[in-house]
Amino acid sequence: MGLPGFYLRRAYSLFRGEVLVLPSRVAVFIFALGVLLLPLFSQDPYLLRILIFTSIFAILAASWDLLSGFTGQMNFGHALFFGVAAYCTALLNLRLDLPPWISIPLGALGAVLAGLIIGIPCLRLRGTYLALTTLAFPIILMGVIFAIPDITGGELGLSGIDRLSGSRLTDYYITSVLMLGLGFIMWKITDSKTGIILHAIREDEVAVRSSGINTTRYKLLAFCLSGFFAGIAGGLYAHIMRTAGPSTLEVALSFQIVIWAVFGGIVSIYGPIAGVFILFPLLEFLRIMPKIRMLVFAFIVLVTLLYMPQGLIPWLRDKIEKECPRCKIRNVTTRKTCRICTAELD
Amino acid sequence: MIQNIIINGLINGSIYALLAIGFSLIFGVARIVNIAHTAFYMLAAYFIYVGFHYLGMSPYISMPLSVLAVGLLSIICYKIFIQPIREHEAAVLIATIALAMVIQEALLIAFGGHYLGVPPLVSGYATIAGVKVTYQHFLALSVAVLALFGVWILLMKTKLGLALRSTAQDREVANLMGMNEARVAMVTMGISVMMAGIAGAVVVPLYVLDPHMWMHPLIMMLAIVVLGGLGSIKGSFVGAYIMAFAEVLVVFLIPMGAFLKGSVALSIMILVLLIRPEGLFGVAFEEER
Amino acid sequence: MKKSIFGWSVLMAVCFVMTIGSLAWGADDIKIGVIGPMQFTQGEGHWNGATLAAEEINKKGGIQVGNTWLPIKLVKVDSNEFLSVPDATNAMELAISRHKVNFLIGGFRTEAVLVMQDIAMDNKKIFIGCGAAHPKLCSRVKENYDRYKYWFRVTPINSRYLVKVDFILLGMVAKIMAMELKIPKIKVAIVAEKAVWCDPIVGIAQKNLPKMGMEVVGVWRPSPVATDVTAELSAIQSSGAHIIFTSFSSSVGITFAKQWGELQVPAAAVGINVEAQKDGFWAATGGKGNYTLTINTYARVRITDVTIAFFDKYSKRFKGAPNYTAGTYEAVYVLADAIEKADSLDPDKIVKAMEKTKRLGTAGTLVFDKTHDVTWGPGFVTAVGTQWQNGANKCVWPLNWQNITYEGAVPYVIPPWVVAHYKK
Repeated sequence: MGLPGFYLRRAYSLFRGEVLVLPSRVAVFIFALGVLLLPLFSQDPYLLRILIFTSIFAILAASWDLLSGFTGQMNFGHALFFGVAAYCTALLNLRLDLPPWISIPLGALGAVLAGLIIGIPCLRLRGTYLALTTLAFPIILMGVIFAIPDITGGELGLSGIDRLSGSRLTDYYITSVLMLGLGFIMWKITDSKTGIILHAIREDEVAVRSSGINTTRYKLLAFCLSGFFAGIAGGLYAHIMRTAGPSTLEVALSFQIVIWAVFGGIVSIYGPIAGVFILFPLLEFLRIMPKIRMLVFAFIVLVTLLYMPQGLIPWLRDKIEKECPRCKIRNVTTRKTCRICTAELD
Repeated sequence: MIQNIIINGLINGSIYALLAIGFSLIFGVARIVNIAHTAFYMLAAYFIYVGFHYLGMSPYISMPLSVLAVGLLSIICYKIFIQPIREHEAAVLIATIALAMVIQEALLIAFGGHYLGVPPLVSGYATIAGVKVTYQHFLALSVAVLALFGVWILLMKTKLGLALRSTAQDREVANLMGMNEARVAMVTMGISVMMAGIAGAVVVPLYVLDPHMWMHPLIMMLAIVVLGGLGSIKGSFVGAYIMAFAEVLVVFLIPMGAFLKGSVALSIMILVLLIRPEGLFGVAFEEER
Repeated sequence: MKKSIFGWSVLMAVCFVMTIGSLAWGADDIKIGVIGPMQFTQGEGHWNGATLAAEEINKKGGIQVGNTWLPIKLVKVDSNEFLSVPDATNAMELAISRHKVNFLIGGFRTEAVLVMQDIAMDNKKIFIGCGAAHPKLCSRVKENYDRYKYWFRVTPINSRYLVKVDFILLGMVAKIMAMELKIPKIKVAIVAEKAVWCDPIVGIAQKNLPKMGMEVVGVWRPSPVATDVTAELSAIQSSGAHIIFTSFSSSVGITFAKQWGELQVPAAAVGINVEAQKDGFWAATGGKGNYTLTINTYARVRITDVTIAFFDKYSKRFKGAPNYTAGTYEAVYVLADAIEKADSLDPDKIVKAMEKTKRLGTAGTLVFDKTHDVTWGPGFVTAVGTQWQNGANKCVWPLNWQNITYEGAVPYVIPPWVVAHYKK
């Protein structure tokens, strides 16, 4: 057996201790496995295309959750990050001939910059004020885009961008692996000390400030982080669509992001991802009734919310798991006692 | 040119004011950010279109009827979709977005994406100091101003108005004083949407109807409400005229940049917020914990 | 909780499989995907035009390939391209990989069509554009023939030619006004919606109008969705313009015409106003858009021998005149002819056959140029100028232009209030 065997056993016990104990984690694991293995079963170009977009928008929705869900900084103009990054990526690729693996991260940095620029004036605002102010930024930018058509292409947008990779399958793996990876990173961020502070800001900003924490800095950090992840999504989108147009900044997209995230369940990262993975394919599936497609979609969202106002995933999670009243650790519903502190579970 | 700026600014301002005050009211009383607000405005406009083109109703009858209809509809929607989830702020938010989508799609299915129009109630124009202004514009302006006055009476001089204002000021205390907060919220929903309906009725003969006409006023309305201070009626009123005049000035003074009017108005809003984060007349809400 | 996602994805997968199952196709027809914004006028035009052509061809037994006759089967693909560009591209992919269409026609919003074109080319599907006028769509054919040769454009004429016709119309109206009202120097106000497609028009107009003996008094650029242009109209009136040179493709065209008529601005409106091409224009403006002149594709005049028959059949069947996206009618016929000539369903052979197309079509004689674009000019497709005259959209151009007069065309009428204002 030797060393490899040791690591293998170590990995297995880690897997058993961290993943298998909770049905939710098992589900995430199966989901990730499913996403990665799917091409073995079907390489239908249409299916892959849908899933590529699903992955891109999943990153976007999760990045919204990172900012708005965790920090409570309701962002109604999240399309700004997406659009800025899409345009930056497109310009870098078209003007400087940078390949996708450079243009996408640089485009995302553009979105970070946008996050800083709008983050600073927005720091003084909170709640609904913030939500409604952020809505304005993509629209202002849209005006700028129409004002300088020589650079931005006006309403036609920029086209002729390089492909992400040569083949649909590679595109699929790039986007889905990025989605899983970035999703995991975002989840880790929210689980870290920074994440806890962000969460605390949402709950009670005054209390956090009085604990000697510079909340301003953390809120700005949240804007930048969120902008970065949303920017990656925007860059990917530009290279997949091979065009970056004003449609990336539309109010409808900003609204769509909020719908995905809230439907899936905010303050969880995986909730919004699940939300996109359900709603985006659903919208495609509804093409079987093309005329009333959007209407049915909106109704499904409305009715689901009536029964699960916290979002779909938290609702399901509470069905199969419960929180230990003493140590706040999650347990399978079938357990009588907590797996950590052995307290009675009711 | 001055006359045009004043007339157009006043009309747009009054329409924005009708929309923004209604929105402000429901936000103040029930803390509901009603994205579907302007969707109801659009719905009222379409009702009038139907009344005129299909039922042959006189606009003088169809206008009040459609205003009432959207008010009633909004109360029903509120009862079914919003009241049960009122504690969940985010859920209410997207419920109203979804509601707006439902209205938009329903209109799209019923009328297609065609541009529609209703002929003016009065045709012709007057020439004031060399500038032509249509009678319809005057009519729109006077109806809007009358409606605003009516709302002012309702809020300031009636018992219902007192109830609304007190709930807006402090929900919990109002509740403790024996007011049925849930019912007040419901009534407010109806009133605020009816104001949107009036705005819709006013613009019907002036504007072109299409199922996406709710987007631009929505954005302007949100900007106005933030500019004036959330929940402040006075703020919404003043904000509406500021934004409307900003838009009109851009159109008149830089014709080549007329398309920038929305961007300029929104930039003004952001500048104001930089200086006064709670808006012009905003009351800094107590930290709601 | 993540189980749900998996469950859902399984459910979705099942649904997809079911969709494939239900859409299983027989090999004994030719599938043409009609792609467009189906809930909007443009998409309706796409679908109606194609339906008419397909029915006519099927009545004759279909398309002959080898010894078999294959009927045409149209597949309606809603691109939703006005609201969502990704949606449009997904629809394209759906049509190709799921509905297994052999050919595609349609498309409208350039931002979306550029992407849809790429998808069609990736799959080597012939895609006949019937809606987007941007030259880039066709210049791609020249730049990379092997990749983009499967793209053709049937309607509308290239925007460069649209501009040309635009100026011919302007020149015509200017001449009529100068003659009838004895105006020595015609002043022109340029009003163009703020969109990229208008930029070259505005530029050329500012440069060319003085050469044509006219004076430019100002340029106004309202938003494509402006709801009030009284401001612009007042300014135009005080500028003393005799002609308003318009470029509108969106709802502002209606707003403008409505308020122009209501305020009786003493200047004739000439140019492009896409909304004025539609039947609903009269009702939408409440009759105030009377005397608006716009470039159009179809009019009930004898452009060729088949035009009037087509126009009447279309108007009767669909309760309204065809607009330019109904050029899908031509597209289906061109395709059918090419398939029969190539005697095969091999796209490369069909492309070769299509390049040789010379069809006496409903909008003129259709010949593709080197970039697979529709050829413009006398004897080819010219487009027409139509003016609203008391509730009917009448053809007013070509009338004695390069020896061409379409039978049924009537002279241009100067709006009476303009005449009253200048005729002392």
